[in-house]
Amino acid sequence: MKKAIITTLLFGMVVTQAFAADVIKIAITGPFTGGSAPMGASMRDGAKLAISEINAAGGISIGGKMMKFDVTERDDEAKNERGALIAQELASMSDLSGIIGSVNTGVVLAGDKHFQEKGITKIITPAAGSASMTQWSKAGVKDNSIFRFAAHDGIQAAMVVEEAINRKLLKVALFYDSTNYGVSGRDDMLDQIKKQGDKLQVVATEKFNIGDKDMTAQLLRAKNSGAQAILIWGIGPELAAIANGMAKIAIKAPLIGGWPLSMSNFLDNAGKNGNGTMMPQTFIEEPITPKAKAFIQGYHKAYKVTRIPSPVSAAQGYDAVYIFAAAVKQAQSTDTHKIKEALEDLKEPVKGVIATWQKPYSKWDPANYDTHEAFRRDQVVMGMVKDGHVVFANDADRQRLTKSATEVKGKKAK
Amino acid sequence: MHESVVAQMVVSGALMGLVYALIAYGFQLTYSTSKSINFGQGELVMVSAFICLSILNFGIPYWLMVPLGLLCGSLLGLFVERAGVRLALEQKSEGWILLTIIIGLLFFSASENIWGRDDRPFPTPISSEAIQLFGISVTPVEISIAAGVFLIMGMIELFKRKTLLGKAFEAVSADRDAAELMGISATRTVMLSYSLSGMVAALAGILVAPITTVGPTMASALVLKAFSVAVVAGLDSGFGVVLIGLFLGALESLTSYYVGSGWREAPGLILLILALAVRPTGVFGKAQIRKV
Amino acid sequence: MLKRLILILGAEALLLLALAAIPMSVNNSFLLGLLTLLTIYAILLIGLDITVGYLGQVNLAQAAFLGLGAYTAALAVTRFGCSMPTALIAATAVGCLFGGALSFPALRLEGPQFALSTLSFMALTTTVLNEWESLTGGAQGLQVPRPPLFGAMLGPKGFYWLCLALLVFVWIAMRNLLSSQWGRAFEALRDSPIATDAMGIGTLRNKAAAFTLGSGLGGLAGGLYAFNFQYLQPQVFVYDLMVILLLGVVLGGRKSLWGAFVGAAIVVLLPNLLSNRLLFQIFSGVGFLLALTAGVRGLSRKTTRPFHTRLQSKDLSSPSASIGDPALKPGFPITPSGMTNNLLIANWFQAVAPVVAMGMLVAGGIFTTNTEDWRKAIFALMLFAVMVGLPEGLMGFASGFLTRLFHIPPPELPEAVPLDSVLAKKETTGRPLLELVDLKQYFGGVKAVDGVTLTVRSGSIHGLIGPNGSGKSTLVNVISGLYTPTSGEIMLNGKPLPKGSLFKVAVRGVSRTFQNLQLFSELSALDNVMVAMKGIYRSTLPLVLLGLTRGNERRAGGDSLALLEMVGLKDECRTPAKDLPYGAQRFLEIARALARRPDLLILDEPAAGLAQPDVNRLLEIIRQVHNRGITIILIEHHMDVVSELCDRVTVLDYGKIIAEGKPDEVKRHPRVIEAYLGGANADS
Repeated sequence: MKKAIITTLLFGMVVTQAFAADVIKIAITGPFTGGSAPMGASMRDGAKLAISEINAAGGISIGGKMMKFDVTERDDEAKNERGALIAQELASMSDLSGIIGSVNTGVVLAGDKHFQEKGITKIITPAAGSASMTQWSKAGVKDNSIFRFAAHDGIQAAMVVEEAINRKLLKVALFYDSTNYGVSGRDDMLDQIKKQGDKLQVVATEKFNIGDKDMTAQLLRAKNSGAQAILIWGIGPELAAIANGMAKIAIKAPLIGGWPLSMSNFLDNAGKNGNGTMMPQTFIEEPITPKAKAFIQGYHKAYKVTRIPSPVSAAQGYDAVYIFAAAVKQAQSTDTHKIKEALEDLKEPVKGVIATWQKPYSKWDPANYDTHEAFRRDQVVMGMVKDGHVVFANDADRQRLTKSATEVKGKKAK
Repeated sequence: MHESVVAQMVVSGALMGLVYALIAYGFQLTYSTSKSINFGQGELVMVSAFICLSILNFGIPYWLMVPLGLLCGSLLGLFVERAGVRLALEQKSEGWILLTIIIGLLFFSASENIWGRDDRPFPTPISSEAIQLFGISVTPVEISIAAGVFLIMGMIELFKRKTLLGKAFEAVSADRDAAELMGISATRTVMLSYSLSGMVAALAGILVAPITTVGPTMASALVLKAFSVAVVAGLDSGFGVVLIGLFLGALESLTSYYVGSGWREAPGLILLILALAVRPTGVFGKAQIRKV
Repeated sequence: MLKRLILILGAEALLLLALAAIPMSVNNSFLLGLLTLLTIYAILLIGLDITVGYLGQVNLAQAAFLGLGAYTAALAVTRFGCSMPTALIAATAVGCLFGGALSFPALRLEGPQFALSTLSFMALTTTVLNEWESLTGGAQGLQVPRPPLFGAMLGPKGFYWLCLALLVFVWIAMRNLLSSQWGRAFEALRDSPIATDAMGIGTLRNKAAAFTLGSGLGGLAGGLYAFNFQYLQPQVFVYDLMVILLLGVVLGGRKSLWGAFVGAAIVVLLPNLLSNRLLFQIFSGVGFLLALTAGVRGLSRKTTRPFHTRLQSKDLSSPSASIGDPALKPGFPITPSGMTNNLLIANWFQAVAPVVAMGMLVAGGIFTTNTEDWRKAIFALMLFAVMVGLPEGLMGFASGFLTRLFHIPPPELPEAVPLDSVLAKKETTGRPLLELVDLKQYFGGVKAVDGVTLTVRSGSIHGLIGPNGSGKSTLVNVISGLYTPTSGEIMLNGKPLPKGSLFKVAVRGVSRTFQNLQLFSELSALDNVMVAMKGIYRSTLPLVLLGLTRGNERRAGGDSLALLEMVGLKDECRTPAKDLPYGAQRFLEIARALARRPDLLILDEPAAGLAQPDVNRLLEIIRQVHNRGITIILIEHHMDVVSELCDRVTVLDYGKIIAEGKPDEVKRHPRVIEAYLGGANADS
């Protein structure tokens, strides 16, 4: 009897997988719940906005037939174990054309191998941990179906260190969370400090765990060693706890760190203690170009909000879909392998919200993981928290982007 | 310089420890009348905090929210008693351990879905600006924790000693059967103890929410430490929980500073295991004589 | 007997074949992954069931052992280059080690304190795994390569079959263990730790053994877990996981290998069930109808066991660890010591609450937007319904149902042996057997026993009487080792008797019954006596696991039947002790106390509450015991019993001896009359 139950359940699962009709099956996965949820949900919503625009226009013409996108969503809750299970499940689906998603580096590390093994195309966004891509260059794989569409931590760490140097904050404390993301961010920062001439003195290096609410001990140590700035790599609620803790023991140093400092749960929970915090951003929620304006308004309307929870995630999700769609169109197929080849050699530029993308990727070379990275330094700007929103930290950036909105942004040859 | 850091850590830690003591006090209330505790007490704290948040979001002023929140807490406590505890007590079994765990799980999942999984700030008129007292930074929020804890514990102790209902409480704690023979309904008294325990949990939620923010997991760590405090002090030790709570809070704080913040939980847990091994009735508790 | 074997073993063999064959017919790696996880969790839950089902305690540390085993296996491979068998053995050993270590502080704890102790251990383990980064990689996790098994690298299928093979091995070993004296000892521990000690079964050591075994299995499951996922992180092994495991055991059915398996299946497959709304709606609908039927029948029949027919307790009460014991107490089988009768009072809450819970489940399936989000609530509701309405779990219920359906016969009774071979006649010398010298037992200011000097001669029946509160029971409790005397000496056969330890005293040959019955209420009468035989028919653990101790089992059974026959309970041997009439329960305690062939038997008010016919029977039994040369100390209030039986009588009052001599002499002693009646002359 028990066997019958199991078999029925299993068959039920198999049967309910959608029959391959005339659709382009795409999966969106990320943390839609939990401490990283604002990023995951925004990414998903930005992506779905793009998908609904494409589908509303009829879809993509493949071999003469108009095919629309069909989305499967999976919530990995920022838990690596779930990520692995979801990856296994998606990898065993037939006719999946590709996957977009992942916010947490640990989840990427736990799950992506299932896609890479089968050559299933994935665009990682917005996960920024370097390890997501360096795992493939370290393994020396000849062929890679994983791409990333985010400003990876190498770029971000450089910007953070640069900003501290520019503002003459010479004694810094490094704070990082205990996950892969935090640890590799710390390593990236130390690396960058050395590369930029050892101008910063690290007076304290402090670790904190996900879920910690009280960082007084670490902050006291940082304060006692005379830190003038706190450079931080973490996610969401813990960052807010640190900002509030800093206010409580009266640390007057600014907080500079990785891009999750722009998340709504940091802004809301830190309140005015968050003002002045700086982080690299690929997209600021200001309508400085027509395309940005249309996107922001479209998002607000579709999801009934007045502020995008994580503008960077949303914009990247949106642009990633358009890039994927361009690859599908070029490949004239829903086959994930053909799409990957098209991605590595996109012929037409893609007009996105963040920039206009010209050949963002090229053929995978294990010695240079930038071949599968779309972002370069000049597409990233420094953002600053002001009264619950993220604005441009440096006005020069705002001017530059407004002006060059109509110019074509290309990838500089390496 | 160094001494002031130690003092700072001790004071901040001890104040948090009072929250553990408060929740532990709630355990004592139910244990004394029924030899049972709510293993899902953390979820009770959390749900009360969420309900209070919603009350505030409706526009009801803070000081009106507090008694409403306490009322909700006691109602939740009654629910736990009815659904999870009474059946087991009637059958003289310990099924309430699992049942209260289950109810806690239900509350957790419901909260996740009703209020969302994110942590939200808890608006309070009490300021979070630190003031300097003898060289130590304390926030009025932390002071309010101390005030709230002592206030409610004092009130309940007064109630137990001065009112008739309270005396019934004590009677059932001392000897359930004898109390029943004297016409006191043990079941009603147990209900009362659970509703008081729920009220205490709600207050704990209100006091601690500004610091921890309100989220589904806000109280899970708190509760384990409250268990430590309750057991180390003794499940029938009354004010002993306050002393142990202060001690444990300070110990945790010092551990996080000197050993590493990830280890802060360790002393409480080790103490709990040791206390249970060496003196299960607790530092302030009374030893039992077995009768066959 | 053959039929029973075929049916039970046949079912298990069928399951095994099906499980082994699936990967050969269906080629889906996701499915294979689920099945592998299923076997791993089954091993884990079997281990958990030992503490939760058999010992009856809420064990919140099993997820910690899973984690410890996993990290041990991982480190064995990454740091020491071990092969798979070595790594798995290391994982199991580490599980046992920590389980054994934890059992020491947790040993004397029951109920909530035990749960809390295990909970702390759980949290402590997570903290250590998280913080000891140099060893475990901390929150960043640890990559685990899969080592070769005897030289060969295992692919997904091979690994699955390895896990399945290990599950089979564990299954067989555990079945042998739990249906042997060990399993009975674990259950006895749950029902009455005091009696367990008093019958010469060390509570502490057996509890430690049970716990160590369970945690060892947890460690083994952990090792397999590590090689399955090949990536470990501390934040997986937390309280959340533990709750789900507990719920799996309860839902599947406690005290049952099949139950652990079903529980594991539910835990593993449930997330997938939930992501498909239609399946979930069907499932919750079926559950709702079941709950409704059970509830209605429960209310109409005014019984709290709606699917239980009276026939069952006769058919199936026996230690059948293979299919699960349906004759469990209604409500919650986790009962502390003490006898409670079946509750036949209509308990409307028990009938209605599951219906409400399942109803909420059905509503959830219809109205919520995403059933996955409510995963924990769904699990909680299912569990609540099962705990309140179907406490023996799905397998417990199903096994009763299946047993009736297939007419599975109960296991065979062993052959009764003649009483003489069990209780051989002893030589009685009349020399002093038990000597008390100035024994004192003070409880603070209360002088319960205040300087008692007493000699009990071998082969005699020595009565101990006195008004209430005179210290009779206390004295006997001191002798038997429940209390440590404040001062004084106790000698048995000229050698000092260990003080303060029921176990040590029992091992020396002193047995007793209790004023407030301390039977093993959930066990059958036969099992109650067989448990006490544990010290006589010792078998080492490895032999038990391999199932090579059937001879001892049969002999113990035969001896026990003989004892039951002596007290007139042979026909009731399969009835759970709690279902026996009061008089029978008293006699059962005596039979049980005789299992160890004691030199000295202490009877604490054996006639209390007995009607006259039973009193006569009691006299018979005591005479028989006496005829075999066993010395008896008898505490009684029934004067006729004392007069009939006792050679000598000692009278206590306020902890001191006020008279001693033949029963007739003592009856007429003025001080005795004064003590009992307060002064005036009266007939006795």
